[in-house]
Amino acid sequence: MSIQKKYKGVLIGLTIVIVYYWAIAGTGTSPISFAEGIPNMIDFVVRMFPPDISNLNVFLVKAIETLQMAILGSTIGALVALPLSFLAARNITKNRFIYHSVRTIFDVFRGINEIIWGLLFVSMVGLGPFPGVLALSAHVTGALGRYFSEAIETVDPEKIKAIASTGANKFQIIVRGIFPEVKPLFTNYVLYYLENNFRAATVLGLVGAGGIGMELITSMRLFKNQEVLTILIIMVVMVAIIDRSSAYVRKRIVGTEIMHQHNL
Amino acid sequence: MIVKIKNLNHKYRNRHEEALKNVSLNIKRGEKIVIIGSSGSGKSTLLKSINRLIKPTSGKILFNGEDILSCDQRKAECIRGKIGMIFQNFDLIERDTVLKNVLNGRLKYNSTIRTILGRFSKEDYSVARDNIKRVGLEKHEEERVSNLSGGEKQRVAIARALSQNPELILADEPVSNLDPKLMKEIMDLLKGICDEKGITLISSLHFLDFAKKYGSRIIGMQDGKIVFDGKPDKLTEKDIVDIYGKTKDWYLYGKVGF
Repeated sequence: MSIQKKYKGVLIGLTIVIVYYWAIAGTGTSPISFAEGIPNMIDFVVRMFPPDISNLNVFLVKAIETLQMAILGSTIGALVALPLSFLAARNITKNRFIYHSVRTIFDVFRGINEIIWGLLFVSMVGLGPFPGVLALSAHVTGALGRYFSEAIETVDPEKIKAIASTGANKFQIIVRGIFPEVKPLFTNYVLYYLENNFRAATVLGLVGAGGIGMELITSMRLFKNQEVLTILIIMVVMVAIIDRSSAYVRKRIVGTEIMHQHNL
Repeated sequence: MIVKIKNLNHKYRNRHEEALKNVSLNIKRGEKIVIIGSSGSGKSTLLKSINRLIKPTSGKILFNGEDILSCDQRKAECIRGKIGMIFQNFDLIERDTVLKNVLNGRLKYNSTIRTILGRFSKEDYSVARDNIKRVGLEKHEEERVSNLSGGEKQRVAIARALSQNPELILADEPVSNLDPKLMKEIMDLLKGICDEKGITLISSLHFLDFAKKYGSRIIGMQDGKIVFDGKPDKLTEKDIVDIYGKTKDWYLYGKVGF
């Protein structure tokens, strides 16, 4: 027994060592290279100072554009996901084919990162914030669709039966029995994705899909490090503001109890 | 006859025992029927079959002569509209106000579009408000149901059922979640309203004393079968043992009484 235990420990230890060796060797991660790179990093950071604010107006406009992209992307995503999510909820859609098809569509849309969607839409509709909005919408449709449908599935079947017992039809049951029960959760998810989308939208510019990320990549390519710092500061400040205000609104609308219940 | 039940059988998926075994029953308009029996005796299954919330495996149920089990969904919704139902756990929309919950009893009078827009007619509002008043909650009309006590919640559920203008009310253990004082209050209210409006009432209750007090006819069930059907004063000790079995239930609900 104790020998078996001993071997088990050795085996687990050996596996861990092998996995890490494999990962380190594969990526060329080494503390020595990191140490060697420190002077370069310091040099890079030093050259960022002081931040160059001569183009501040342009950057602020782009930052606002990023926020606009996030608002539209979240809204369109939520509007598309809302009706579809009922088709992907097992307690509403009895037809297994429809249920699984819609679920799969959600998973595919969610599984593809916003940046990849951005690349695809830029090649479809050209550069600018519009493909960015589409990219955000596509990802959010998948993500919200999935979460919405899971929220719908948690509604107490007895409450659904209670509304059905009044002679209501299926739509009426959804509107008056299910929707009020999931509304706070839905609101919470949408606001969460608004925050998320702003962060995602800052990166979308890297692939030419509008927003402040586009300015960031341009300044970096032109080695305008002081401008890079200005842009990074704007991004961090805006993300912080949006996170705080969204958290405040969520708390006001949803109430803390739901956020605790669902660990949000 | 308002309800005719013929040879009703039901077996839940993934369960061995049948929940209903060859149940036949005729219910006259205006009757106040109380179904008694231990947990799992089939009371709830029988009630939920009457408005097709459960579709029994076999048998027939006629409501006003119309076959509710074999008709299409639309027709079933139409029949359900004439049958109000009250549940043990109230099953209200907790985040909505009292008025909004009671208005749900008017859904069958409204189109889908109007429901989506949240529109109700003046008549809907006046019926809902009348019923809220009837159950004594007029001061709480705009209050969220989640803030109400258990007894008040069941009053809201009664008002919702009444707003359907039902011919029949099914009450599935309506007082099981309430304390003894509220039990009596709610049953007095429910029976009073049904007497006043000539509504047929079928309720399932656990306690024998209660059943005798509120029923004009008692149906005793055991293991999915009807083992007693008659007036409360015809109920003998032997019948009570038949219904509850010589078990703890018998002492709790029957012998000791409430």
